[in-house]
Amino acid sequence: MAEFNEPRSKATASVSSSGNPTSFLSRASKCAKTLEEGNRSLSDDAGFAQVQPMMEDWHQPWLNGVELLEDSNRNKHFLPTGYEGIDVLLGGGLCEGQLTEIVGSSSSGKTQVCLYSAAHVADKHFGVVMFLDTCNSFSPKRIACMVDQLSSSFSGEAKERRLKRIMSNIFCHSIFDIFALLDVLHQLEFNLKHQVTSGHTKICLLIIDSISSLLTPVLGGKGSEGRLLMVSAGIILKKLANEHNVSVLVTNHMVGGEGGILKPALGESWKSIPHVRLQLTHDQGSNICNVSILKHTFMASGRTTKFVIHG
Amino acid sequence: MEIANLPISPSQRAKLLSAGYTTLTSLSAVSPFQLARDLNIALQEASDILKVMPEFTRSESLHGGNAILKGAQTAWDMLSEEQMQKHITTGCENLDTILGGGIHCKEVTEVGGVPGIGKTQLGIQLAVNVQIPVEYGGLHGKAVYIDTEGSFMVERAHQIAEGCIMDMLDKFRHHQKVILACQEQMQPNSFLANIFYFRICSYTEQIAVINYLGKFLAEQKDVKIIIIDSVTFHFRQDFDDLARRTRVLSGMSLELMKLAKTYNLAVVLLNQVTTKFTEGSFQLTLALGDSWSHACTNRVILYWNGNDRHAYIDKSPSLRSASAPFSVTSKGIRNATSQCKRVRMM
Repeated sequence: MAEFNEPRSKATASVSSSGNPTSFLSRASKCAKTLEEGNRSLSDDAGFAQVQPMMEDWHQPWLNGVELLEDSNRNKHFLPTGYEGIDVLLGGGLCEGQLTEIVGSSSSGKTQVCLYSAAHVADKHFGVVMFLDTCNSFSPKRIACMVDQLSSSFSGEAKERRLKRIMSNIFCHSIFDIFALLDVLHQLEFNLKHQVTSGHTKICLLIIDSISSLLTPVLGGKGSEGRLLMVSAGIILKKLANEHNVSVLVTNHMVGGEGGILKPALGESWKSIPHVRLQLTHDQGSNICNVSILKHTFMASGRTTKFVIHG
Repeated sequence: MEIANLPISPSQRAKLLSAGYTTLTSLSAVSPFQLARDLNIALQEASDILKVMPEFTRSESLHGGNAILKGAQTAWDMLSEEQMQKHITTGCENLDTILGGGIHCKEVTEVGGVPGIGKTQLGIQLAVNVQIPVEYGGLHGKAVYIDTEGSFMVERAHQIAEGCIMDMLDKFRHHQKVILACQEQMQPNSFLANIFYFRICSYTEQIAVINYLGKFLAEQKDVKIIIIDSVTFHFRQDFDDLARRTRVLSGMSLELMKLAKTYNLAVVLLNQVTTKFTEGSFQLTLALGDSWSHACTNRVILYWNGNDRHAYIDKSPSLRSASAPFSVTSKGIRNATSQCKRVRMM
């Protein structure tokens, strides 16, 4: 029987289920083969006829350029981060359907950008923000303080109501290992699929601060399981982004490379996963941050700008 | 989610589909007996199929699927929770102010500085201060002290506890009721009794203790602070493979984050300094490298400014960077006073 070929372990199963259509096709043909060879008790044709439409349902419909453009105009909006410098640099902000990565050394402002974007996106009624926190750095107090700055024109009760509305649109979940992350992402994917029908407020921004702290304990060494986990997390993040028009923002740290020059962590196989990669640097003793594009899908890399993190 | 996504064998999948089970919802209400009959398979096999159904699909169908993500909290709820939280005072008001009231629970705070600046003093002070009774505005918690260097001095802890009690009694001298209520707790020995001390002699032991803490804390619910003095010591020697060190350390830091969050306690890591060559000059930074600098929520650096000890907030998601003077007195960490002069160790 083809049973032995089926991936059994949880991690591998998640990879194959989130894989591309081709991997499914091979699985489907395997399934059909089993039906033909192994299972005489079942009436072959009847069984296959029932299975076939489902297999065909599984491959994604093809789109032409015009439809793609329409889809991107209709569904893939820019979510402004609220920091003017970054928004101008990125042509509007974080793009829905894309995976944006922020790299930077310790206390360079990564978490501040995440928190500020969360507050700003939740404020502008774009939808719900999901914050996956791995370093206990999600600070509701800091967000409240940012909202306070954003809503200086309001006063008294209106301000309080506004704060509550914004804060209720930000969800936080703590995650302390990569398996928990994969679990949560699968759960999120499942829920998003079912929300389409039930009409909930949709998640528009998913933040993981920081993904590198989950991955460093499993990366490296002789085995390749670490890389497998990293790439499968990347695949499912990009899938979520694309299928549910979510903008995904992850943060990554820096490690010393050759000659003591800092470079983004997680290595070469992660490098190809994010659509957009931004680097933050921060001068000691000032609140001005520099941001530069290291990688972008449609913009020249190397452009730099400054923005100010308010205290 | 579809049947096709389930990690079951193709033949089982085909049987399910031909019996009319096309979605997971159709499977969620079915009993193993019914499934075995419908699919003409053994009962065991049927219950195995039902077992692989993802946990969340079942809970989802029970709760009606309202939550976006199970276990997630809104920032609003977290804010109100945070406002209820009490912080652990350092004993020095200026330091408490820049820390936003003291050391925060649910966060990992790293404190670093040159030898002799008072890291261990601060560690012992926090182990004592966490026990201040609720009536005196404290947390009335217990402390776990993990000592890797052997620098914990129990006589000094006794002295600091005495100092803390004296100051508390002085501060509350007009509240006779409070003083009478906690007479028993306000004894130096009862303060010492509530410090759980672990002496660590190698990094293997250090990791073992941290892994064991989860179990320990499940029994000792009152523990409100874990102090590791110092987190660095054993990792600065006997480690050839630096990549492995990074892996081990980042795993350890995630474990500590998890403890802090799960048991609502503060984790304070004391760290040593090292020199780092940047931009043509050697500068002092905290040890354990760049990846470690991400391992804590807050980072406080203690340094000498002339003859005064100062603390500087180097990194924090919620606090602005600021510095404040403090001093180490015979009673423990206190506000800086002008009389206090640096005693240079010659």
